[in-house]
Amino acid sequence: MAKQLGRDQQGITLRGSADIVAEFFSYGINSILYQRGIYPPETFTRVQKYGLTLLVTTDSELKNYLNNVVEQMKEWMYKCIVQRLVVVISSIENNEVLERWQFDIECDKTAKDESAPREKSQKAIQDEIRSVIRQITATVTFLPLLETACAFDLLIYTDKDLAVPEKWEESGPQFIANSEEVRLRSFTTTIHKVNSMVAYK
Amino acid sequence: MSQECNDEWELSKENVQPLRQGRVMATLQEALAQQETSTHTAVQLKKQEFELEIRFYSGDDPLDVWDRYIKWTEQTFPQGGKESNLPALLERAVKALNEQQRYYKDPRYLNLWLKFGDCCNEPLDLYSYLHSQEIGTTLALLYITWAEVLEARGSFKKADLIFQEGLQRKAEPLDKLQSYHRQFQTRVSRQTLLGLEETPDENDTGLLGAMEPQRSSLADLKGRGKKKVRAPISRVGDARKTTNQNRSFQTLTSQQLSNNPGFAVFDENSSSGPEIPVLTPQPWTAPPAPRAKENELSAGPWNSGRRPRSSANSGIEVPCPLPSFTPYVEESAQQQVMTPCKIEPSVNHVLSARKPEKEEDPLQRVQNHQQDTQEKKEVVMYCKDKIYAGVEEFSLEEIRAEIYRKKAKKKAEEEMQAIAQQKEEIQRKIEELEMKLKKKKDDKQQQPCEQPTEITEASPPLGLQGFTFSSATEVGEKQLQLGNVFLDSEDEQKEQRNEASLGKKGTNSEAYSKKSNCSADHTQKSSRRPLAVRKPSDSVTAKENMLPDACDELNGIEPLTEDAIVTGSYKNKTLCANPEDTCDFVRAAHLASTPFHGVVAQRVPAPAFSQCDLKEDCPEPKSAPLNEETPVCEGAYSEALCVNKLSPIMEASLEDTRSSGSSVSSGSSLSSVTQISTIKYLHIPEKLELARSLPAEMAHDSGGDAVTQFLWSAEQRKKLLDPMPESLTAAPDFHLEAGALPVMELEKDVELGNETYCIKWEYWANDEYKMCFAIPAHFPQLDAKGFAIKVYSQPVPWDFYITLQLQERLNTDFDQSFSENCSCYLYQDGCAILHRDINRFTLGDVIRGCKSITEEVILLVVYNLLGVVEKLHKAEIVHGDLSPEVFFLGNRICDPFANDEMTRALKIVDFSHSLDLRLQARVSLSNSFPISQTPHGQQLLAKSSLPYQVDLVGIADIVHLMLFGDHVQVYQENSIWKISQNVSKTVDSDFWGKLFGRILNADGKSTVSLLRELREEISDMFDSRFQERLCESLAALGESFLLENFL
Repeated sequence: MAKQLGRDQQGITLRGSADIVAEFFSYGINSILYQRGIYPPETFTRVQKYGLTLLVTTDSELKNYLNNVVEQMKEWMYKCIVQRLVVVISSIENNEVLERWQFDIECDKTAKDESAPREKSQKAIQDEIRSVIRQITATVTFLPLLETACAFDLLIYTDKDLAVPEKWEESGPQFIANSEEVRLRSFTTTIHKVNSMVAYK
Repeated sequence: MSQECNDEWELSKENVQPLRQGRVMATLQEALAQQETSTHTAVQLKKQEFELEIRFYSGDDPLDVWDRYIKWTEQTFPQGGKESNLPALLERAVKALNEQQRYYKDPRYLNLWLKFGDCCNEPLDLYSYLHSQEIGTTLALLYITWAEVLEARGSFKKADLIFQEGLQRKAEPLDKLQSYHRQFQTRVSRQTLLGLEETPDENDTGLLGAMEPQRSSLADLKGRGKKKVRAPISRVGDARKTTNQNRSFQTLTSQQLSNNPGFAVFDENSSSGPEIPVLTPQPWTAPPAPRAKENELSAGPWNSGRRPRSSANSGIEVPCPLPSFTPYVEESAQQQVMTPCKIEPSVNHVLSARKPEKEEDPLQRVQNHQQDTQEKKEVVMYCKDKIYAGVEEFSLEEIRAEIYRKKAKKKAEEEMQAIAQQKEEIQRKIEELEMKLKKKKDDKQQQPCEQPTEITEASPPLGLQGFTFSSATEVGEKQLQLGNVFLDSEDEQKEQRNEASLGKKGTNSEAYSKKSNCSADHTQKSSRRPLAVRKPSDSVTAKENMLPDACDELNGIEPLTEDAIVTGSYKNKTLCANPEDTCDFVRAAHLASTPFHGVVAQRVPAPAFSQCDLKEDCPEPKSAPLNEETPVCEGAYSEALCVNKLSPIMEASLEDTRSSGSSVSSGSSLSSVTQISTIKYLHIPEKLELARSLPAEMAHDSGGDAVTQFLWSAEQRKKLLDPMPESLTAAPDFHLEAGALPVMELEKDVELGNETYCIKWEYWANDEYKMCFAIPAHFPQLDAKGFAIKVYSQPVPWDFYITLQLQERLNTDFDQSFSENCSCYLYQDGCAILHRDINRFTLGDVIRGCKSITEEVILLVVYNLLGVVEKLHKAEIVHGDLSPEVFFLGNRICDPFANDEMTRALKIVDFSHSLDLRLQARVSLSNSFPISQTPHGQQLLAKSSLPYQVDLVGIADIVHLMLFGDHVQVYQENSIWKISQNVSKTVDSDFWGKLFGRILNADGKSTVSLLRELREEISDMFDSRFQERLCESLAALGESFLLENFL
């Protein structure tokens, strides 16, 4: 199937897969931040991606921060040592965790040794990603209104043997007690599979 | 699984309204799934459950039901809309709980209101309404929500003011409010900063959110001006304020921005000007009238008609031509539901937009409702509140079914409990017996055969028949058992009636036969209670007064219609509207203009009753010293007649027999005689049947104390005085007052008639009666004389009736001993009788206050006492509760100068326990009088005593109290009653001994003559020397007691 597709996309390599997933995280986190009103809506701007109009932050600091994280994620995903990315939304006032967006990453570690790209069209992956992001957007239907000002935190679950890089620190899982959990769609690049889930009070 | 489920909510995400508190995914999925399969049964059932709970909630927190109901609705109907009926539900909840002030500080209640506000056209109005009503004003949420809405509309100043108000009021939780306020302030300041950056020159408006001038949509954009061509700017929003201050654009802007979505993304462009914030709660008038909206052509004439052309604001007047472009509409402005329909006029007619403005604002409805309830002119004659309590309308059948179900459930539970208890008891007994058995086994060998018999003896409590009367020989035990049986049989009866009425006139004969199916004992027992109720009415000298009595007795049976269910508490007693109802039917017969009474008199001149009386030994029906058997028999007989009264027709005939007593003497026509005979014939079988049960009936006649209370019951008297005798209502001192009985409290003023009295003293009070001493409020000097006010918590002017009867029957003998000047005020829920010219002290005060009372005073008092009672008995009235407290001191004692034969030493005004034997001749239950509960009363008043004897015992007790300072104690010697105290210690020992001897052993003799003889004996002692000493004694008494106590 991949062979019949465009010339520039022959298949999925490990690096490419990491890129795609990292990109997804970038947009996904941006979407969450916008949807959940963590940052003022006017600090977002529209971009076309995955066939959708998405909103990404224009705040340079936030951009930097996210880029850093995503770059780091990309690296780890390339190494297949990351298991999970969690966006924790907590109240500024009492640090109570209100929402917890969890993206489980299943790495196909065999891909590290393979040289041949996997066969999956980028369009198919993009479609899958699009549906995930759509679902993220649609969660407003059931998520509670965030009544207080909130901050977000990113947690990354990696393999144990990983040395904590600079500017990163160990953290607890920041679970929500008695939370309602809703699984969202997942997508796969055949190398990385991302399962999404949101937990809320 | 997750994948499939996920689809569901995502696919219908547009149909799910966001909730502040979020949604439970499971419920959401379920709701959405159900929507597809359209199996609403579960939801409907749940809804029904809630509706039922609302109607039949018995706890003390009705809000809880509503709260749960609404939350459930929100979760179950994610798409909102008509099906959920949420706005209506909220409206109803808010209305229903409106009167409950206690919820005004409840956050749940406020939440209801705020949710309701989202359904309203203009939530701001609702908030100020809440504020004015003090609903939730102590809660931060109100201010937060209010300010949010204001902020969303750009009224930052107002929003800030709201926050300030909340902070000032220390609304809870305060920290939350503060943090919201802080956030609000940061938002606003950021806005201001941004605004300053963008338009630094527009500062002059002094706005927080200064902004560019906006054009009104569809306005003419043609350039104007001479030097500098500029497109006219018809300003909208805050910029307008500067030019157009005098116009009331407030409504316009708010109208534009109404129908806010639940959560609005803040849009700086939509902010309106800094209207002068008004926080004072304004009386709510009407919702703002729908005004022209943007994109509508009609705006032109509206402006031009009012404003002169020379106005500086030239832009507004421009008529609006059709634009050649598609107007760009700000997101924030697109809040109307109405689609702008100017773009495609051809389509316009096919699909016309709904006009939401035409609907009445729900808030207004709520307020109207409130006003209505405040005015409340109509009285609903069915249980409207139950039918419309929830959102859905219930049918009467549904309500009835629920009541029935509840009853059934309760009954079943009770039964289960009872059975369990009995089981336990039996178990216990068995164990006991087994223990005994074991013990005995050790001793003897023959015991085993005894065990089974003992066990069977223990088990009977399971059934009603277990109460065997043969075992009830001792009085105490008897009473106890009778009480039990009485209760049981009452239940039983009710049950039977229920069955009968449920089975749609399930034929009285059936009910009756059921009763007779029970053991013979049971039949009598079950008929026990009605017997007591009716007894007094079955007078030999029956009067027309008895008609209502008889018909009101029908209240005892369950009406054929579900009166109790349908009308609830709104029972209408005055209008006999329901022809289906037997009771109403009979009542209506009285009311009807047809000469009902006359017909009766003609038809049945000689009733079976009186004949029966005559047959059996009843020689003097007038003075009514009936012996024991007769009244009982009568009662039982009447009972038998009364059992069969489910059919209105039967009723009428009964009516005849009972009411016709008065016509015995009036002579009968020939034709009517045959009718009597038929009636008599009809009753014979019943009579026979009852005859069998008579002995048992008699045995217990005197035992029941629960039974006889009915003698004094308000119902009983109401019946007797219904309709009020004309002599009563026509009396000049009888006042029928609208409204409720005024509260009588010590040192409080009370208004009776046109006078205001100040209560100074309370003689005695119990649940029903209260006797007070009062003086005129405007004449506050405390005098020895004043007013005695007797309050009776039932609207029955019994005392007044007795007083009038005395006046009528005694004629000239009615003197100072009685209340000669009294007024009766009959209220809806009670009755007050005002006795004028009453001395403040009672005989009881004298007895308590003086260590020893001189012989002369005692003789004088006893002389008067005997006289009073003699008169009462002459008038065929039994006082029933003679005690020192009921006798007010007369002028003879209190006024030292009134040494006249006309003045009396005692005055009696209270007739709480009195019987009118002309009205209640059947009474033989002398042991139901208060005095018969005393030790001496119990001894002296045997079961056969006549009611008159009650007063004799009362006299004996009073005399004894005066002589010896304590209550009379009696013993029997050679079947003659004697007092334990030694009479010889007293001065006139001979006389006192004689007095006690005669009074205590009066049985059967005429009390009037007895009293007269005794009185004459005293008057013989009144010689001139006695009079002298009496004067001295009275003066001493006045000094030592009256003055002293007075000061």
